Amino acid sequence: MTSTARMAPRRTVGPAVPQSGHRKSVNRRRSVKPWNQRVAPYLFVLPNMLIFGLFVIYPAINNFNISMYDSGNGRDFTYVGGGNYQGMLSEAEFWSAARHTVVFAVFFVTLTTVVSIGLALLLNQRIKGRAFFRTVFFLPVVISPVVVGLIWGWIFERKNGLLNSLLGAAGLGQPGWLVNSTLAMAVVIFVGLWLHVGFYVLIVLAGLQGIDSTYYEAARMDGASGWQQLRLITLPLLRPTTMVVVILSLINGFQAFDYIWTLTGGGPVGGTTLMVQYIYEHAFQSPVQYGSAAAAAVVLFCAVFALTVINYLYNQRKESA
Amino acid sequence: MRSPRISLTVASAAIVLLASCAPGSSSDGSKTKQADDKKLTYLYFTDGPDEQATRDLIDQFEKKTGAKVNLQIVPFDNLEQRLQARLSGNNAPDVARLTDITPFRADLLDLNKFQKGALGGKFLKGADAYVTGKGGELLAVPSDLTMNGPLINVDQFKKAGVPLPDPKKPWNWDEMVKDAKKVQAANKTQNAIAMDVSGHRFSTMLSQYGTDFFDKTGKKPAMDTGKATAAVKRFAELNASGTMPKDLWLQAGTKYKAANEIFLAQQTPVYLSGNWQVSAFAKGAKFSWAAAPNPCRKTCGGFPGGKFMASFKQSKHQKLAAEFIAFMNSEKSQEKLAKEANFLPTRKDLISSGVKYPVRDADMQTFLDDVKRTPQAAYGSAYSPAFGATADASVKELAKVLAGDSSPKEAVEAIRAAAQKALKDAQ
Repeated sequence: MTSTARMAPRRTVGPAVPQSGHRKSVNRRRSVKPWNQRVAPYLFVLPNMLIFGLFVIYPAINNFNISMYDSGNGRDFTYVGGGNYQGMLSEAEFWSAARHTVVFAVFFVTLTTVVSIGLALLLNQRIKGRAFFRTVFFLPVVISPVVVGLIWGWIFERKNGLLNSLLGAAGLGQPGWLVNSTLAMAVVIFVGLWLHVGFYVLIVLAGLQGIDSTYYEAARMDGASGWQQLRLITLPLLRPTTMVVVILSLINGFQAFDYIWTLTGGGPVGGTTLMVQYIYEHAFQSPVQYGSAAAAAVVLFCAVFALTVINYLYNQRKESA
Repeated sequence: MRSPRISLTVASAAIVLLASCAPGSSSDGSKTKQADDKKLTYLYFTDGPDEQATRDLIDQFEKKTGAKVNLQIVPFDNLEQRLQARLSGNNAPDVARLTDITPFRADLLDLNKFQKGALGGKFLKGADAYVTGKGGELLAVPSDLTMNGPLINVDQFKKAGVPLPDPKKPWNWDEMVKDAKKVQAANKTQNAIAMDVSGHRFSTMLSQYGTDFFDKTGKKPAMDTGKATAAVKRFAELNASGTMPKDLWLQAGTKYKAANEIFLAQQTPVYLSGNWQVSAFAKGAKFSWAAAPNPCRKTCGGFPGGKFMASFKQSKHQKLAAEFIAFMNSEKSQEKLAKEANFLPTRKDLISSGVKYPVRDADMQTFLDDVKRTPQAAYGSAYSPAFGATADASVKELAKVLAGDSSPKEAVEAIRAAAQKALKDAQ
């Protein structure tokens, strides 16, 4: 598609663009708007911004501030500058949690993206019981992650778990799903996928329904196969949606904690301890180290932010190419 | 293009906000203004049967003094977080029930100021160092004692034809393992012995093998490498052979996990836990069970623990709070609580005179016998300000041994290092 073609709809649907000579008069017109009309939009967003500022922005800034102090009780603070960061970076536990977080996030994001697109494509077909299947895939999203962790913990338990009882009855042995680090990580990724994929399926479904059906009609008339339609129409036009799925699942993957806590407790031997659990343990388990926990939270924020920006820029470049 | 003025304004606002949230230091609270009203708040977590006994005692205190006590029951899991948050908000309760006073030492009220006569020198000797401040202040009162020890499935022992251990003549580790394995084989249980996933419980085994994390002052690491390695090695062998449930320790992650479900499901004939299970099992167990004496190795006896009652410098009712603590820990009150909740007393007079329990008296006497057999060093270690952190580290290190990621000797070295760090952090 040429750039002219891309520009065309903007010219036709947008308001008339004022010529440069008219800019002053437009500004004057804006400036004479009654003050209440100018202030009204800000007043509408003010309540939300106040809540957002109080419960998100302020704690985030304060967290950065606390990361430069040492505190064992949240009341007495000693300034240590970058000491918490230094201490954290020299801790094997931190690197272990960071490594596990990366492994988890890579598999979680990849699988979530692929599976959610696959399921959305299936659920977008005109099949019998479509609404039922959509509900089934979405249901885990509304279950408490704590409960999800507990239930899957019972299912994967080695000696008395449901899965191993079935495997044992079939003569397939009883793998130690939650006592082997590699298997436990696989279980945690699987449960994360099961829990969240329904939400991403919804996003992809919305994206699919936004694709103009005339593209497919034209492609069919040109003799394109189903695979060609998927590869050349669906997936490229889903790119903005895919980017949303990737960014959200990336954030989700880096924030994973609740169901892992109840499923494995970060074990065995720290094999499924991710960054948020590392932060939680430093902040809320004795001996409390608020400064170290805050420093780890800052590092996690920077990592997620950097990955999001890189992903965004990469997609922007792909779109403009 | 966006005006640079907007960016500048946003940046300035962020800096002002950042400056405004610079953490400060709390005051020591020693000059907290005292209120005239007679209202107390008591932050409490319950083990179950103690709640009603506590409420009854509160009623008695209210009648006696005309005070009003607001009992605030919170889950044990987030007791410390809640208390830290309340202290940060200058909203500390007047009295709290705690298992570990270390994180709050600087905030605790010196009870000697108000109740020295009623509380001084009345309690178990081992806890003295723990509840005494640097300047001799009485920071808390040990309100109940716990004693670790085994519980056995009597039905399964009988079915296997294995005689029950004599509470007066403790068995040793080899005898306990041998008997438990026989019972396991006869009853086809999954395991022979189960131990809670807890560094506190493992400390019992360490003590029986002749060593502890800390010395009797609780202020020096004292773990003997040879003795501790022997204990860790035995523990690892028992888990590797299936005598103990290895999965329990590996699946727990860093969380505390009790093995009571395994015992109640009759999948282990011997359960290494403690006296706090007595009242729960009295109601919940569908088979005949009993407390057994702790096994001996180098030493006999169990490992102590317990709860404490403390008040805070932030309290606006310091005098009344100290009076309440003294009342709740008087001989009469503690005896009532011990009897109704199957607790062990901490008062010297009650320990020497003994308590006659209306329910499961024989089991409680077994634990009381172990209180007497427990070496003084175990009390010093249990009440060390660094015990909690070291015990948590020991759980992680033991799990590494069970997973084959480290050797018993490496685990002992790592626990020693953790003990040293914990002591340094606690100072």
